[in-house]
Amino acid sequence: MSAPSPILLDCGTGYAKIFNLEDSTRAIVPSRRFIKSVSEYRIAASTGHNIASGSGERVNELVALAEGALAMVEEPDFTVLDCGARDVKYVQIRNRRVAGMDWNTECGAFAGQVVELLTRYFDIEPENLPSDAPRIPVVCGVLGMTSMFDMISQGKSHEEALAGFLRGVAFNCETLVGRPDRLYLSGGLCDNKAFVSAFTRETIPLGRFVLIEGLRKIYSENNI
Amino acid sequence: MMQERIENGALIFDLDEPLADRPVKDIYLPNAYCSILKRVVSNIFSLREDGGLDLVIATVGKCKCDGMRNIASWLERTTDIPILKVENDNAKGAGFPISRSGLPLLKKMELIVNSVFAPLPDGLTLEECAPKCGFWGVPPYDFGILELFPDETHIFGWTRCMENKTPADIEMECEVASGVPTVFFTQSFCQKSAFAYNLAREHGGLYVEVDKAMSHSTRAKIEAFLEFNLGWRGKR
Ligand code: SF4
Repeated sequence: MSAPSPILLDCGTGYAKIFNLEDSTRAIVPSRRFIKSVSEYRIAASTGHNIASGSGERVNELVALAEGALAMVEEPDFTVLDCGARDVKYVQIRNRRVAGMDWNTECGAFAGQVVELLTRYFDIEPENLPSDAPRIPVVCGVLGMTSMFDMISQGKSHEEALAGFLRGVAFNCETLVGRPDRLYLSGGLCDNKAFVSAFTRETIPLGRFVLIEGLRKIYSENNI
Repeated sequence: MMQERIENGALIFDLDEPLADRPVKDIYLPNAYCSILKRVVSNIFSLREDGGLDLVIATVGKCKCDGMRNIASWLERTTDIPILKVENDNAKGAGFPISRSGLPLLKKMELIVNSVFAPLPDGLTLEECAPKCGFWGVPPYDFGILELFPDETHIFGWTRCMENKTPADIEMECEVASGVPTVFFTQSFCQKSAFAYNLAREHGGLYVEVDKAMSHSTRAKIEAFLEFNLGWRGKR
């Protein structure tokens, strides 16, 4: 049997993003499935929560995010926010250098998983969400959901309650990053139109491979 | 008074610190509460259960925090645990050579915490180094966080005040070295988090809040901050 191709790996809480260094193909697989079959892969470099030993050169997630965003965005000054399944982190770039960063580490309110679960649970098309729903204060995921279901029990529509919840999460993200005029978005929630449209500023999704782009840059520059 | 008791054979424990074979019981205070104070209260009750508690000396002034003042009053009102409330408003600085030395950060913290009861070890030389980085805050619940930093990290905030024997000196608590990348650490649910949060914003530092042991994200966030600012990738 031939040796497996070397890969770059961003192994998040929900999904593993994979870049094959030989044929430049990309793949997304659930992390739990990836971890079970990790021995079948040859990992050249990796980032992300869910992988530790045997994962090649480790790159810090925020470093990978910054490098990836710099490779994808040409502006000198910008902010990129990565909304993962579990937490949210951002990097602020000034003159093409990292000028600020943070990572919300404790509160589950931001967790992409909650947003993903809720949008699936309600099975509502994003275009059916009202654009003027009042924001629900989302102190944390559980308290936010409690408020949301309270609204529903008080007669508000599911659409309005969900839109209010998503606005609450987006508001927290905007607070975290300091409310720039334009915001670049990375991570799984880029594909969630309802979430992207809950932001109150210009929000440009960069997709799910920003950290992988960062790994590619670091890998090729350092030949790690 | 403490000296007299020690001479009469009493043992003194720092209730902020873990006591051997006495795990913290998380049953005396609300869930969302400072884990240092949860440990203090748990230590008090487990020492009492063992019949080994004569007196709790509770610092309740500006030198500590409202949490301990409230806890001391609660214990006084509802238990027979003997409590002596004390305030340390000492304003005469004793210096802070440990905070500015080039020892590993964890070692610095241990020396400062231990200096409450014990003199510095004989033969210890403390050479001042230029700061590459700053750690602002109280001694953390989990000292593991300190291992992420380079040795040339200076200590600021309440821990520096503690070494200086002026724990109520708010002015000194707010001092940091300008231009030095600094991590502003706070225990979750501590009132000092208001300081940490706003000082971090003022100085372009990193605000870090930890409850008990630090999470993967907290570790990665500090590592990234050090890597971006110092090119430091840890002690490997
Ligand atoms: S960490 Fe804050 S709340 Fe906890 S004991 Fe220290 S000062 Fe008080």
